[in-house]
Amino acid sequence: MSGTTVFKAKKIITMNPVQPEATHVAIRDGRILAAGTEQELAGWGDHNLDTSFEDKILMPGFVEGHCHLMAGGIWQFTYVGYQDRIDPDGKHWPGVKSLEEVLERLKEAEAKLGPEEPLVAWGFDPIFLMARRLDKNDLDAVSSDRPIAVVHSNFHLMTVNSASLKLANYVADMGVDGIAIGEDGTPNGELQEMAAMFPIMRRLGINLRELGRSRSSIIDFGKVCNRVGVTTAADLINDLPDEDVAEMTSITSEDSYPIRLLSMLNALAQPVDETRDRALELAHHSTDKLRLGGVKIVTDGSIQGFTARIRWPGHFNGAPNGIWNILPDQLNELVSVLNDAGVQMHIHTNGDEAIEAALDALEIAKAKNNRPDLRHVLQHCQMADRAQFRKMNRLGVCANLFANHLYYFGDKHYELTIGPDRATRMDACQSALDFGVTFTIHSDAPVTPMAPLFTAWCAVNRQTESGRVLGEYEKITVDEALEAITLGAASTLQMDHEVGSVEVGKWADFAVLEDDPQKIAPESLKDVKVWGTVLAGEKFQTP
Amino acid sequence: MTPRETPLPMTVLSGFLGSGKTTLVNYLLRHNEGQKILVLVNDFGALPIDEDLIESQDGEILSLANGCACCSMGGDLFEAFDAALKFEPAPDQLLIEASGVAEPRRIANFARAEPDLQLNGIVTIVDAANMEDGLQDPRLLDVMKEQISSAHILLLNKCDLVSQVQKNRARNKLKDLNDEVKPIDINHGRVPPDIIFGKGKAADMTAIETKSQHNHGDIFDHWALKSQKLFEKHALWETVSSLPSTVLRFKGIFRSPDATTAWSIHKVGAHVDIARIEEPSFAEPYSEFVAIGLKEDKISEVLEAAFQKDQ
Ligand SMILES: [Zn+2]
Repeated sequence: MSGTTVFKAKKIITMNPVQPEATHVAIRDGRILAAGTEQELAGWGDHNLDTSFEDKILMPGFVEGHCHLMAGGIWQFTYVGYQDRIDPDGKHWPGVKSLEEVLERLKEAEAKLGPEEPLVAWGFDPIFLMARRLDKNDLDAVSSDRPIAVVHSNFHLMTVNSASLKLANYVADMGVDGIAIGEDGTPNGELQEMAAMFPIMRRLGINLRELGRSRSSIIDFGKVCNRVGVTTAADLINDLPDEDVAEMTSITSEDSYPIRLLSMLNALAQPVDETRDRALELAHHSTDKLRLGGVKIVTDGSIQGFTARIRWPGHFNGAPNGIWNILPDQLNELVSVLNDAGVQMHIHTNGDEAIEAALDALEIAKAKNNRPDLRHVLQHCQMADRAQFRKMNRLGVCANLFANHLYYFGDKHYELTIGPDRATRMDACQSALDFGVTFTIHSDAPVTPMAPLFTAWCAVNRQTESGRVLGEYEKITVDEALEAITLGAASTLQMDHEVGSVEVGKWADFAVLEDDPQKIAPESLKDVKVWGTVLAGEKFQTP
Repeated sequence: MTPRETPLPMTVLSGFLGSGKTTLVNYLLRHNEGQKILVLVNDFGALPIDEDLIESQDGEILSLANGCACCSMGGDLFEAFDAALKFEPAPDQLLIEASGVAEPRRIANFARAEPDLQLNGIVTIVDAANMEDGLQDPRLLDVMKEQISSAHILLLNKCDLVSQVQKNRARNKLKDLNDEVKPIDINHGRVPPDIIFGKGKAADMTAIETKSQHNHGDIFDHWALKSQKLFEKHALWETVSSLPSTVLRFKGIFRSPDATTAWSIHKVGAHVDIARIEEPSFAEPYSEFVAIGLKEDKISEVLEAAFQKDQ
């Protein structure tokens, strides 16, 4: 029999209502044997007492229910975001607070590149665009001959220099949507949406999908999770060809890999029957650290990109309605087929019309075949109103709300995209609680940074970048938010029997914190420092 | 990345589920007239190619005996266009079969922006029999309107299945949404490849004839002009832009008055493109144009008049 280890902590927040707090947790075979006081644990026999956490707070390892493997690989580019970030290797990147600082950062990076390398940066924050917009002249001052591309934080925009424009022949006004034109009548360097960005990305070798596939990227993704206390993370869309599954299996099975990874099959990349068969087949490849078998269905676009499907009265600024990625009728069929087969679905729905279509499809499927064993999840679910939460409750459908959006895009939603009424009820955590909808909150990293305590802070404070509070009523308490980033997320991933709380029999996965999130002021929740994690009883101190 | 020598002409085929896109694609693949057509299917159904056309299958790619190929785009436009531009052997035509909910303008934008692609036009196919049903669903109304309003070529399919009254109603509806394009009545997705693809590559116009177009040519009329004249770019643009919508396609090559630069011109729907030909393959300083339209509209007369008046 293998030995028993007992971690002594300043406090263990368990998320188990029977025993909300403990000071000691005993671990055997990577699982939680018991939690309580030292005396309560003594009956389990001899153990090694590990006191390295005696001045730290332990929580169940955080669960990120919606992010992308690309969050690791993106760091091969230069970070030019507004917020401080730490890269997978522990390098601290202070946020750049002005256009001048952005250009300064680019100059530093440019000086380190080899002669043929383009300069690619990411994370450029829309906050910089309030006074004036970054343009090619700014970037030409960084380099006039080396191609430069600055990808904005939402990945829907980029700004490039003249050398890049020339590569793609963007030298005159060609009347192409998305190639912004400056006062002199020529492209000013700003490119909007994929069609306009594609020729530059292709020529500079920026392939966002490949960013999530390489070995180093998957390893870096693990490091990104470890830094913020995450021990289980869901990669929310992947084509999952055999060779990628083999690579992911090999990487995650290494003892040094610090997380349990879930990856959801793209349900729209093949015919319905093939999606079903592939999902069922993938489920058999699951291991303790790699979980497969769920699928992702993308129904609409994004609110900030004006591509979400929204109901009457439409966009606040009058912009036309967004896009469907699948016909509502086809969605009905797909959802029924997958539900019948027992495949869990994560359905991307941003706008309330998309939410309605997804709920209708689930209603049809569940009226035929209820399958209470399955928990389907509306991902983002940002514009759901209270009637839709009541319907989620009736149907037993979960929600993963995009709390980080409140901070990063809340001002834009209030002023431009959907207006005050609907912006103040976005990502409605309190409504989810009111109607007993199982829910979690997420980052969609790298769209916004992964950091569950920041995401929890967003749900608790609902504060936008400019400091506006977006809907007092929908604020939730710190304890509710902590549950959302642990047990709530575990439930949406159908793993709540394995992770998400400190309870006997579950995996010994912990987030190790320097400060007590229950004692710190709610407005400071995001500032709680993370020491690292424990996975199956093994310590992973963030380097 | 290796740039192409000449841009790959790209056609977006849009239309609702059941409008006949698949039948049309199969028809075009059967009548490819020697061109290697690469079909990208932007939908998640099975690849809709008639069994007897398929020579082999390699993963997601279906190869046809006549050199054409078909593959699924998955969900990612970036990947799809990247793959199409790398495709071996290099195709002569790229045909995107857009999903029923796709906004063709967004897809067409890739060809407008990418130097290695050239937009050949947006073709929207509409089912004469149930077009009005489609316009009832408020969730899809805007998508359907967009597909019709952004089209350069409108095909009214299944005309054999509807009464004259129904057809007229459908035509009026189409005219409300897009009055720059004259719809073409077709049955069973049969339409000459010329209409969809134009004639060959824009810069390769040395063999212009008005040979009869198989047996579907009855309702179409071709017009051609070969001339020693030189054309001023802007004047020609004006002339071509003001051609009526009965001229379904117009294209040609011409020399400008300085006689040193050669240009190609291409009109489909209301969309006119003029592009410089870097290394003209024709030595003589002549210009030539072709057009295709409906016989009933007497396009030859219209074109003769336009070219007499202005030049
Ligand atoms: Zn996502």
